[in-house]
This record gives sequence, structure tokens and C-alpha cells, in this order.
Amino acid sequence: MAVDESLSHHSGKHPGAQQIIACHECDLLVSLPPLSVGHKASCPRCGYVLTRNFRDTKRKILAFSLTSLIFLIFSLPFPFLSFSAKGTERVLTLLESIQSVVSADYSSVAVLIFLTTVLIPGVFLLGVIYIFISLKSRVPLPYTQPILKFIFALLPWNMAEIFLVGILVSFIKIASLAKVALGPSFIFYTLFIVSLALTVTFLDRLQVWQWVRDGERKAMNENRNNGEQTNE
Amino acid sequence: MSDAKHDISASFKNMQGCHVCLTLNKFIHSRCQSCGAKLHSRIKHSLQNTIALLITSVVLYIPANVLPIMYTNVLGQKTANTILGGVISLWQSGSYPIAIVIFVASVLVPIGKIIALFWLCIGVATSKIRSHEKSHQLYRMTEFIGRWSMVDVFVVAILVALIQMGNVMSIYPGAAVIAFGGMVVVTMIAAITFDSRLIWDPLNRE
Repeated sequence: MAVDESLSHHSGKHPGAQQIIACHECDLLVSLPPLSVGHKASCPRCGYVLTRNFRDTKRKILAFSLTSLIFLIFSLPFPFLSFSAKGTERVLTLLESIQSVVSADYSSVAVLIFLTTVLIPGVFLLGVIYIFISLKSRVPLPYTQPILKFIFALLPWNMAEIFLVGILVSFIKIASLAKVALGPSFIFYTLFIVSLALTVTFLDRLQVWQWVRDGERKAMNENRNNGEQTNE
Repeated sequence: MSDAKHDISASFKNMQGCHVCLTLNKFIHSRCQSCGAKLHSRIKHSLQNTIALLITSVVLYIPANVLPIMYTNVLGQKTANTILGGVISLWQSGSYPIAIVIFVASVLVPIGKIIALFWLCIGVATSKIRSHEKSHQLYRMTEFIGRWSMVDVFVVAILVALIQMGNVMSIYPGAAVIAFGGMVVVTMIAAITFDSRLIWDPLNRE
């Protein structure tokens, strides 16, 4: 219990104490009340959502990010799209369809597509999983803070859901010319987007940073206590 | 503005929030005392950088519309399609919903976004922002909606990937894809570079 008290003293967060922050979008000084589960705090001036408090956030984020990563991996090997007209059929996996933009001599566009639809969301999910495993484990894993910084910077460049809309639009566009079909990989890709969206919904910047700091402080205190015990 | 006393920005109290972990720091610190990230009360040269990026995106927008975005080859007959040409032919063939989607995503959104960001930059630079709430909402909308312009690049990529039947029917990308994709990326960076806190700064001076 002694550890817990020193913890709350260090972070300046006594139970029920208010935390003062500057609104990320309009710089208003806001004192955040302790939030009960299911509540969110918005900036009174510009309306920006400062923080949210969901039930079981850590478990949900870990579950959804793992699910999302598995679906992303599953969306790679199977047929993604297929197209048949005038007796010929063309079946493509997700990476093959990006590959064909390379063979059309537009590698820069292919790289942009690969980054925004596969690599960036994939790296983002790996980062989220790493951080939440680190939070669950007794000793925080190394490089948690730089990874946390990195994944929030990646977030605006994820365009997986836009890719999905692009596929649907192009399908309607060529539906009159030929028979087009969606393969199993496409279904996995859609599920990946849904669980990615859920991961992002539950991920709260303020909350995650608080947890990461508390975890590292706790580990430091435990180290110190262990050191004292061995000295005795 | 009636309760200006309660509307105090952190910068007015010689404080600054960390943009990475949101911890409140004193002005004198150059790095966040909690996570070590570089601190900036306002993004440095925000307006200059945003305007420079906007000019870049206007320059990129010209080839994106003038050059063909894709070539279709049907039975040896090669035709070039521009973005607007594609929208018009979709409209004429009766595919109104897709014509509208493409028109909104590749014409209305980029132009609207560039105009909105220019408007905000000029408003902040001349301190002539009338409604802070509405300006902020405008900014939030440009930030949210800008990525969706990418739809057109994805559509071209999917068509190129699927329709490859030699001389019977093939689709090839055109140079406008690069210009258009570049423009979307540059306008996204412009929106990220714009510091929305500048919209609210005039309130502190009163």
C-alpha cells in the first residue's frame, strides 16, 4: 500500500483531485474532473474531446488490436478481387493488385498505396499491441514511450477505410463491363478495418500516457524497495 | 466572450501543453518534463509553412486536372481520361451516384479544403476572425475530410490492377495520378501544420 501512496503523491493525482491540462486544439486551460466510467470530457471552448473513460479499456484495446492484426495478415494470402470478362479471368491478392501498379511504371503511387493501406496500419497495430502488453506485464518493456509517440504520429496516415470505399466505387464503375467479385481476403480486410476503427475509438492519448507513466514509476519504486530489502 | 475571465489560454499563464502527452509545462522548459518531447506553445512558423504547402498543392492541382488520370484501351482504341472528363462520362452514362462521389472527392473536397485553409490563414494573420467556433469547426472539417480525396487514386489503382486483358480491354494509369496523390498528401501536411490554437489567440489579448 505504501507504494500506492507514493505513486499518487508523485503523479499529483490524489483520488478526486483535478488535473489541469491545456486543450490540444485551442490551448484553453481546463481542469479535468475525475471521470466516471462511460463519460468523456470535452473542451468547454472549442468542443475538442479531451479524454474518454470507457469500461475495461486496456482489455478492449488489446483484444481489438490483436484481432485487427490477425485479420490484416489473413487478408494477404487469399484472393482479394477477381474479374472475368470475355472468357478471361483475373484473380488478384491484395499485394498483387498493388504490384500491378508497379508494373504499370507507377511505383511511387504503388508505394503510397502500400504505405497507407497495409504498412502504416500494420505498424500502428504492432505498436499498440506492444504498448498494451507492456502495460499488462509487471516490468514495462523498453522503448514504450518513443513507440507511443510514433504510433500517434502514424494515425492520420492510415487510409485503409478510404481504400475500401475506393474498391467499392471502382466495382460499381466496371460492373457493367464485366463480372467482378470479392474474394475471402476482401472480407478479412473489411473485418480488419472494423476492428482497427474500434481500437482507435478506445485509444485515448491522455489515458495511455498516464498508464505508461504510472507503470514505469511503479516499476522504479518496486526496484527501489527490492534494493532496500537486499541491503538489509 | 462574455465570460472572458474563464477563457484563459495556457500561453496567457506562461504555460504550454505538450503536444505528445498533453502534460502542462512551464514556458521556460524547452522539453516536456514528463515525456521529453520538444515543446512549442504554438507550432513554429505555422502560417508560413501552411501557406507554402497550400501554394504547392495549388501548383500540383493543375497537372492533376489537365493531364490524363488514366488511359483506357478497348480493342486497340486508346482514349485518355482526365478527372473531370471521367466524371462527365460517368454522368452521361447514367451512373449518377458514382459521378457525384468522384466529383465530391476529387474536385469539391480538394478545392474546398485549399480555400478553407487559405481563408483561415488570412483570418489569423490579419486577426479578422469573427466567429472562433465556426472557424475552428471549419478547420476540423478540413482535417477530417481531406484524406478522403485519396479515393480517386485508389479507384485508378484498382481499375489498373483488374483490367489487364491486352488489346481487348486494358487500363493504364496517367501522370495525373502522381500529381493528384501528391496534392492530397501535401494538403494533409498543410492541415497538420496549421495550428488551430492561433484561431483563439486574439481572445487572450482583450
